[in-house]
Parts: sequence; C-alpha cells; structure tokens
Amino acid sequence: MSRFYPLEVTALRRETRDAVVITLSPRPEDRGHFGFVPGQYLTLRHVIDGEEMRRCYSICSGPGEPLQIAVKRVAGGVFSTFANEGLAPGMTLEAMPPEGRFTVPIEAETPRHYAAIAAGSGITPVLAILKAAMARSPRSAFTLVYANRELSTIMFREELEALKNTHLERFSLLHVLSAGHQEIPLLSGRLDEPKLTELFRLWIDPASVDFLLLCGPEGLMLTAAASARAHGIEENRIKFELFASGRPGRLRPAPKPSTGVSAGRSGMHEAEIILDGVSHRLTLRGEETSLLDAALAAGVDAPYACKAGVCSTCRGRVLEGEVEMVANHALEDYEVRQGYVLTCQSHPRSARVVVSYDQ
Amino acid sequence: MSGSMGIEDYLAAGGQLTSPANVPPRYRGELLRLMASFVDSELAASAGFATVINTAPSTESRIAACRIVLEKAEHAGRVLALMGDFGADTKRYETHHDWAARLPREADLGAARWGGDMRLSVFHYPLEGWADAVVMNVLMGLASAIQLDELGRASYAPFAEAIREIAPRERAHTRLGVKALPELLADAKTRREVEASVRYWRPRVAATFGHAGSARFALLRRFGLRQRPNEALLALWEAELREKLGPYGLV
Repeated sequence: MSRFYPLEVTALRRETRDAVVITLSPRPEDRGHFGFVPGQYLTLRHVIDGEEMRRCYSICSGPGEPLQIAVKRVAGGVFSTFANEGLAPGMTLEAMPPEGRFTVPIEAETPRHYAAIAAGSGITPVLAILKAAMARSPRSAFTLVYANRELSTIMFREELEALKNTHLERFSLLHVLSAGHQEIPLLSGRLDEPKLTELFRLWIDPASVDFLLLCGPEGLMLTAAASARAHGIEENRIKFELFASGRPGRLRPAPKPSTGVSAGRSGMHEAEIILDGVSHRLTLRGEETSLLDAALAAGVDAPYACKAGVCSTCRGRVLEGEVEMVANHALEDYEVRQGYVLTCQSHPRSARVVVSYDQ
Repeated sequence: MSGSMGIEDYLAAGGQLTSPANVPPRYRGELLRLMASFVDSELAASAGFATVINTAPSTESRIAACRIVLEKAEHAGRVLALMGDFGADTKRYETHHDWAARLPREADLGAARWGGDMRLSVFHYPLEGWADAVVMNVLMGLASAIQLDELGRASYAPFAEAIREIAPRERAHTRLGVKALPELLADAKTRREVEASVRYWRPRVAATFGHAGSARFALLRRFGLRQRPNEALLALWEAELREKLGPYGLV
C-alpha cells in the first residue's frame, strides 16, 4: 500500500504567468523516503472542497537541490489552479515517495549524448535529467529542443540560459516557438514532421544520440517518435513521458447506495455489467458468486488475473447499488471511496447493482 | 502541437505510455492481465523446472537447469514490480498460488486458463524426466522468443523495456536445451523419449498462441499492446520448429 508523508511548502516561485515552482521539504525523519532518480515524479494528495485530489508532478530539481516541482495551470484543473493561486509557504501537502520510470543511466565515467524534445510543462523531468547529466557526468552532452507557444510561456527560461552559459560546449538549447517570429525560420512554428526532419539533419546527429527523451502532449510524442525512428534511433534509445492534454479530470462523485439494500426473492441479485460500452444484464446468487465470476459465466470477457484480491486487474466501478468486498489487498481507501471495487472479491448487497469496467 | 488528441487515439496511432497515471481503465485491465500472464508463466516455469534439476545427467546440465530456474524467477520479479506500480500487492502475489502445482499429464486444457492464476495453459502440465524437460524447454522457448518479441513492442514502455531486457536471457535458456538435444538423440532409448515428448508438447505449446481471430486481440491491438494476430505468431513458430528441429528429423 502506498504511504503519504507531509511535505512543507517552503518556497513558491512564479515561473511564468501560469506556472509556479514549489519547493517542498519533508520532515527530518522522512528524508530517507524522498531520494529520487532524475525523471521521477511525486504523487500529491490534497483535499479541496472536501474532495481528495491526487496529482502527479515531475520533480525538476538537480543534484543537491531541494525537492521542487513545477505546476502549470490547466484550464479547469482544480489542483493546478489551487497550486497557482491558493498555495502559500508554510502550508503542507502530502506526497508519496518519488516514483516513475522515465529515467536514464547517468554515470561519471561514461560520456553519453542525451537529446530531449519537450513541450510546455514537459520540461520538468527533462530539466532534472539535464541538471544531473551536467553535474554528474562531466563528459556527457545534452541537446534540448524545447517547444512553447511564445517567449513568455517558456518555463525555466533563465535557468536553462544559465545552464547553457555554464556548459557551452556540452549543452545545446533550441527554443521552438509556435506563435511569434524568430530569426531562424526553423525555430518558428509548430514542431511538425518537416521541422523535426530538419532538426535531425542540422542539429541532432541521430547516430550520436544515446538516449532521446520525449516529453509533451500526445501529438508531439507521436510525431517526434516517428521522426526519431525514421532517422535510425532505435526503440530502446527512446524514452517517453506523456504529459497528456486530456488528463483525467475530476471523477464524478461516488454513487449513493440505492435504498433497496435487501436482496431480491430467494437471495438472487440483478447485476448490470458494463464492458467496452456494452451493458450485460445477469442475475446471481450474491452470497456464493462474485461479480467477476458471474460476469465470466455469462460470457463477459472481463479482465482479471489472480482472483485473490491482490493484483487489481479486475478493478471495476460501482455505479449503482451496494457491494461488499471480501478481501482487498490492492485498492486504496480513496479508490474505494470513489466506488472502485475488486470485482473478484465483490458480492452484491443490494437487489440491483451496476458495475462498469470502463471508468 | 496538437493538444486535443485523446489517449485512446494516441495509443491507436502507436503512442506509448510510461506512467500508471495516464492509463485509461480498460487499458489498465488488459495491461495488468498481460503482465500477470507473463509473471505467472515465468513463476510456474521456474517451479516446474526446479523439479527436474535432480534428473539432470551431468554437472553441466544441472547448472543449466538451475540457471533456468533462477533466471525465470528473476524475470517474473521484474514484471511483478511493474504491476506493483498499479497497486498490486507484490508480496502477497508471489505466494497467492502454488506455482509448482500441476494437473495430470493427460489433462486437456486447450488454450484455456485454469485455476486461480493466469499462467499459459502449457505450464499446467507436469514434466516427466530430463528428456521431456529438454523438449518442453526447446519447444516453448522457441514459442516464447516469438511471444516476447511481440510483447517487447507493447505500448506500455516500462513493460516493453523489461521484456526487451529479458528476451535475450530467455533465448539463452532455449539454446541450453538445443545444445542438450544431440546427446539425447544419439541413444536409441532417449531418442524415442524425445520423439514422444515432441508429440506430447507440440500441440500444447501451439495452444499458447491463443485462438485465431481472437476478439481480445482486436482490443489489444487498438491499445497498442499487441501488433500481430495469434495465427501469424503461430505460423512463425511452426517455421522456427522446422528450421531448428527439422535437421534432427523431429518435426
């Protein structure tokens, strides 16, 4: 089970009009939990208007720097708006220890060429990797192509400039701006396929790249990955971290249990199972049969693996009615509060239940 | 940058994911199922091979069998750690099932899963001695090379990367088996055992490729978790068998 630790907000720095850098400090006794590999993220938990929010933010700190994340405001984003407007030093956020697999080997004795194509807030994990590569691997080089709308929306602009000036021979930085003109046409406009081809021809020698880091929204990731492959960068040299534009928004509140909590005649329950948008109606003897087994017996190809409440493959969401879980070794309390259940361990308690595998 | 694309369109266009936070619910279920199938098969294979260590006819073959038992368990652990990222209780998972449990030799499962785990059906059948274990290892090893090549292209990058690291070591396990074959075939008695084992295991390994025209495959392909249909992978394996075992007159 994941564990959250309190982190004190010790500093806030406005990075752009819509983005803030938050410095966080664990309690002395928790410090051991917050070591991180550059490229990892923190999962934050915070209650806003009585509702628990969880969001993942990449750590942007370099070696020896305090723990920092950057939060860019997204339209309608409850947490990102709170972080940009309501957060103040001295407040506490809760976070799980750093996680994530968007990481690359960085070794003092092994010179490597890291290249990165990032867009918008996708810079955050890349910045952590960049700073670590410069600090820890003195003969490694880094090429960063950073796409933004305009000059004023570039996050970490000053910090990147300073890094470039300190490591002139090793760090090459290209800003591509989709709106507004730059002197070099290559660096103006959308980072599309022709532009990437030009970049690989003129700025990034694909053969020299040990790792290519891609971090941004869906469209850029697809175009950049396709272009990289076409230029001979193999799959295992490309690292992806999607900064999805359509991040899951606020979940609808967990459904209220229906009033008819008693089973129907002779202990039989009605269940509606939704999978891939298709609704399947079935009846089951609730004390004996789990919702998963009833679904499988009715020919519904529901996902499952361990059938022991351990792996969470069979996770579904109760949309109507009430169910009881016999065992749960995989879902966390907040998921249960949102109506998620392990269907292999779930038995209906109300006369009718509706469970979806699609949410 | 086109920012309006949904994750499902992104996946259908060949996009990759690295974080559980970005994974849509149905994708999550199917990905965990694929990972569980790999973990359970490796744990069951490791446990099954452990029983034949003492039948190994030489020190070298004993070491080979031990290495297979060790590394398959290690491979399972790597992918189980990825399942842990999604909330799976990895400690309990390792012990929730008796990985050495087997059905009777004559049971007929086809491609069906059985009991409380997701191991490929072939790992429910017991091994009978050294020659049988070598044959099973070669036939299934050639199959898993093709299956792992497929999973190594999956759209969940941490899983694909783990599989790409694992695949060469799995291929080495198969080579250990292929290396043991000539000696077994040189003796008339063990040759007959090998031939009988090939007849026994061939249809059971073929079943691990799943059904032709599988409905789940269509879903997995849309998610970028699979690329080539079951029947195409099966045909690749049949060709491999002819190439590797044909010279010995075994297929």
